[in-house]
Amino acid sequence: MKNFIEVTELKKVFGKGKDEVHAFGPATININTGEFVSILGPSGCGKSTLMLMVAGLLDSTSGKVEFESKLVKGPKTDIGIMFQDNTLVPWRTVKGNIELQLELRGLNLKDYQEQIYNILKSVNLEDFAERFPNELSGGMQQRAAFCQAMIHDPKIILLDEPLGKLDAMTREKIRADFQKLWMVKKPTVIFVTHSIEEAVQLSSRVILITPRPGKIDREIKIDLPYPRDLKVKRSTKFIEYVNSIQEVFHKYGVI
Amino acid sequence: MKKFIKWIFSGWMLILFFVGFFLFWEYSIPLFDIPRYILPAPSEIVLKGSADLDKLIYYTGVTALETVLGYIIALILGLGFGIAISFSSILRRTLYPFFVSIEMTPKIAFAPLFISWFGFGLMPKVIIVVLVCFFPIVLNAILAFNSLSNELTLFYQSTGASRLKTFFTIRLPAALPQCFVGFKYAAINATVGATIAEFIGSDKGLGFYISIVTGNMRPDLAFAGIFFLTLLGLSVFGFVTMMEKILIPWHISMKRINK
Repeated sequence: MKNFIEVTELKKVFGKGKDEVHAFGPATININTGEFVSILGPSGCGKSTLMLMVAGLLDSTSGKVEFESKLVKGPKTDIGIMFQDNTLVPWRTVKGNIELQLELRGLNLKDYQEQIYNILKSVNLEDFAERFPNELSGGMQQRAAFCQAMIHDPKIILLDEPLGKLDAMTREKIRADFQKLWMVKKPTVIFVTHSIEEAVQLSSRVILITPRPGKIDREIKIDLPYPRDLKVKRSTKFIEYVNSIQEVFHKYGVI
Repeated sequence: MKKFIKWIFSGWMLILFFVGFFLFWEYSIPLFDIPRYILPAPSEIVLKGSADLDKLIYYTGVTALETVLGYIIALILGLGFGIAISFSSILRRTLYPFFVSIEMTPKIAFAPLFISWFGFGLMPKVIIVVLVCFFPIVLNAILAFNSLSNELTLFYQSTGASRLKTFFTIRLPAALPQCFVGFKYAAINATVGATIAEFIGSDKGLGFYISIVTGNMRPDLAFAGIFFLTLLGLSVFGFVTMMEKILIPWHISMKRINK
């Protein structure tokens, strides 16, 4: 059986001639429906580049990406995407920003009012629907951005270090929110991060990327029960996963 | 309520400053024995100016027409070219560097030429106002439409929305704050352009009035003309600022919070 997402010998080189920078690959990755896959690697290893190529938002130099055996040529539109710097626009309220996703897709706003309320409630933002992004804290903004990325029920969610700029406590809270929503809706998630703990806590599988030019060092299947709360994080198995990944990056001199 | 008291208080400070300023002006003229053909007292400016009020009001209308007409034309052209250059790589490589290099030329230097080409009427003044307003508007518009964040660009691409839809829902509102920087700068330039154009060649308008009365050794009337020019300039700038508050209220409140 074919996999949901198949990435074959994908490679990216920026620039030409003397200024050439080999950013990523070649790498081959297969992802199944409903998997939560983390792309874990040091900064500058090309993991964001990989994510954008998978989404069809960036052309690859060579290799190919296929979704359900269909070749990706331009930007994929059945996705939800979220970055370290959020995509909330300052002239719309939290609710208006979630509706932006629907409006751009030409969906009927009336059909989604209840879903907007429900998704805001699931991340405890229901009282902030009419607030503007600049009235919210960084953590609340990222939670709102997550609702924006999820509201149209995409089959694939792409997260590019969405918690990168947040403090440790807020990160912990939002990880739990993400996990809760993922467990309910079961989209396929590609999560780009440089936090080992975050990757182990959230993912069903972690793909370790070497320093630039990023290649796949190995894949680790995380065999822990969901939801992975604090109890799971204190378990020996969890700590063993974290330690083994740390050893890999230690070998590369990253940590 | 507290805010209101604070506002009144800060308003009073300004009024007090102005009262002090004009009192100082009024009484330093006899004190330092300054001749009235050099610098007249404010009371004299009001007195002599009000005798000439009909003419002043008519000339304010003339200059206002040149200013507003030129400003609106510059606004339409500037935004049009700005958007075209932002979205066309050919124009970005041709027109854009051309505009940037012309920006270094003091546009007002063209004024005598325009007068000689188009005569003393309304048109050459409007053209000069267009010229001094166009560049700040177009250059800021180009900057505005090119500074959308990478993340927002990728976001709208992932929705598959058409270019037109994206333009009106994301690109245009995102560009407005920077566009208004140009609109405001141009609003300041507009009255300056009209006045200088009138200095160089005209038979009506506030610039014409000021140059004539100055030639007749009547600085009191010149100051009266300057007062009306200031009112005109403030009105144009005030209108643009008001439009900014109406069109992009979110931007104003953001600035306030960031302070």
